[in-house]
Amino acid sequence: MAYQVSVFLENKIGHMERITAVLKAAGINILTMNLNHTTGGWGIVNLLVDQPELAYGQLSDAGISAALRRIVVLPMEDKPGSLDGLLRKIAGAGINFTTAYGRSGRGTAWFVVDTEDIPDAETILKSAGLEILPDETVYTLD
Amino acid sequence: MYWEKELETLPEKELRQLQVNRLNITLAHARRSPFYGELFGRNGNHPESVNDVKGIESLPFTVKQQLRDHFPYGFLTLPQKEIIRLHSSSGTTGNPTVIFHNRHDIDSWANLMARSLFCAGVRDTDVFQNIVGYGLFTGGLGFQYGIEKLGALSIPAGAGNSLRQIKLMRDYGTTAIHAIPSYLTRLYDVFREEHLNPQKDTRLRLLCIGAEPHTEEQRQRIQEMFGVKAYNSFGLSEMNGPGVAFECEYQNGLHIWEDAFLVEIVNPDTLQPVPDGEFGELVMTTLDRQANPLIRYRTRDITRIIPGACPCGRTHRRIDRITGRTDDMFILKGCNIFPMQIEGVLMKIPEVGTDYRITLETVSDQDTMVIDVEIKKDCFRGDLAFLDKLQKRLTHLIRDEVLVTPVIRLVEPGSLPKAEGKAVRVYDTRKR
Repeated sequence: MAYQVSVFLENKIGHMERITAVLKAAGINILTMNLNHTTGGWGIVNLLVDQPELAYGQLSDAGISAALRRIVVLPMEDKPGSLDGLLRKIAGAGINFTTAYGRSGRGTAWFVVDTEDIPDAETILKSAGLEILPDETVYTLD
Repeated sequence: MYWEKELETLPEKELRQLQVNRLNITLAHARRSPFYGELFGRNGNHPESVNDVKGIESLPFTVKQQLRDHFPYGFLTLPQKEIIRLHSSSGTTGNPTVIFHNRHDIDSWANLMARSLFCAGVRDTDVFQNIVGYGLFTGGLGFQYGIEKLGALSIPAGAGNSLRQIKLMRDYGTTAIHAIPSYLTRLYDVFREEHLNPQKDTRLRLLCIGAEPHTEEQRQRIQEMFGVKAYNSFGLSEMNGPGVAFECEYQNGLHIWEDAFLVEIVNPDTLQPVPDGEFGELVMTTLDRQANPLIRYRTRDITRIIPGACPCGRTHRRIDRITGRTDDMFILKGCNIFPMQIEGVLMKIPEVGTDYRITLETVSDQDTMVIDVEIKKDCFRGDLAFLDKLQKRLTHLIRDEVLVTPVIRLVEPGSLPKAEGKAVRVYDTRKR
């Protein structure tokens, strides 16, 4: 089971630095991330990091609202049309998601999907023929 | 069970007679002050004495502005030589309000304070840490004299410096604390940051909270944090300070010491008395103060007399917790709103943290109420939908309570500015 760290964030100058300062001090590397916001003046930053449990613990100790959320990381070839093909398979499996983001590397790209609220996501995606990155490789994307 | 059994359990009829006797003595004292001398002398309608407590209704009210207008000595009945202490407000807006005490007044106040603490269960075996400001603020010295009179070991810690407060508590085995409620929630956070649990790592057995209006929900939270009972203390600087009314073991209202204060509840608009059980403005007359008596002083605090007898056996009537002040009520879109109503809703929601802030703003010519609400770190699940739902739920609950739709802004824990001293909850930035 792989995890991302999701952090509550007010949309104000200087607030995101409160998070990155903690990660920096703990020597945590961010592999990829996404940031969203709502009309309420706040949002959530989702972080895929090399040491999620450590990041979660350090952020919580610093008084920051953070949570570990289950994810799947789906690899694909880094070329036009790959994501389209990947999404067709996900849709075909009947999976609807609300948070996802990506990263590309040398010839390979990865699609990160938040599956915390999707029961049996991994099993369903696997039986739809999708490759899911094993946990040990998720935190060392290269 | 009682600090002064006879006085605290005096039958109703005798208590009223004691009040009448003391009121007449107080009126005689009051006439010696320039202000009351002039007021009662100028208008011959005012009786020199009364035959029953209802007689007080023929006398005029005293308001805070008069204290300010006759600053500093207008209410003083004695030569300055007789005076041994004064307490005054900060006076950031105009003249401060100042109250003078002679030795009798200080002794009387110390005794009321000792009685209050005993009533809440403090004993001479306790170690009592008083975590409020000393100096002109009455909560420091007021409690100090009471703790000493009662015979408990006092730690005059003063306000602030939470790490030092925790160290004092642990070094000397503090068993009882007095603090303002918003500070105790802050202190609890510091315990947690230090990886300490006040329920295991201290010898606390009770808390006294006061000097700041708060809701029953806020009290419940403090009790859960510290794992001990928190007793409500009520006082105001014009009536000495703390030691005016205090909760007993039953925590079902605050016994107001009727041998020392004559209590009326009036409708703040008509100034007519309201029946027991009905909310109105608390009006008080000192009955045991020589240097600076006050007659029918309008406290601006909103409360009610709780009807019926208390199982503790004390005959002094109980007032309800202060639901607000006539002057902290604000009007938004024609609705009268007390900040305590909003706190009451917020503190019932487990996901809401300890701090909140109400800002009244004018946005494109529309007055709106924005409420910044701290969310609790432990309740955060990391998804937008959860926060969205929480925001909507709070919006609906507050609208149902105050009849105006608020704008709820969720904020990070600890991001609202912490007030030194009393928490400031309402900021009014509306265009007038």
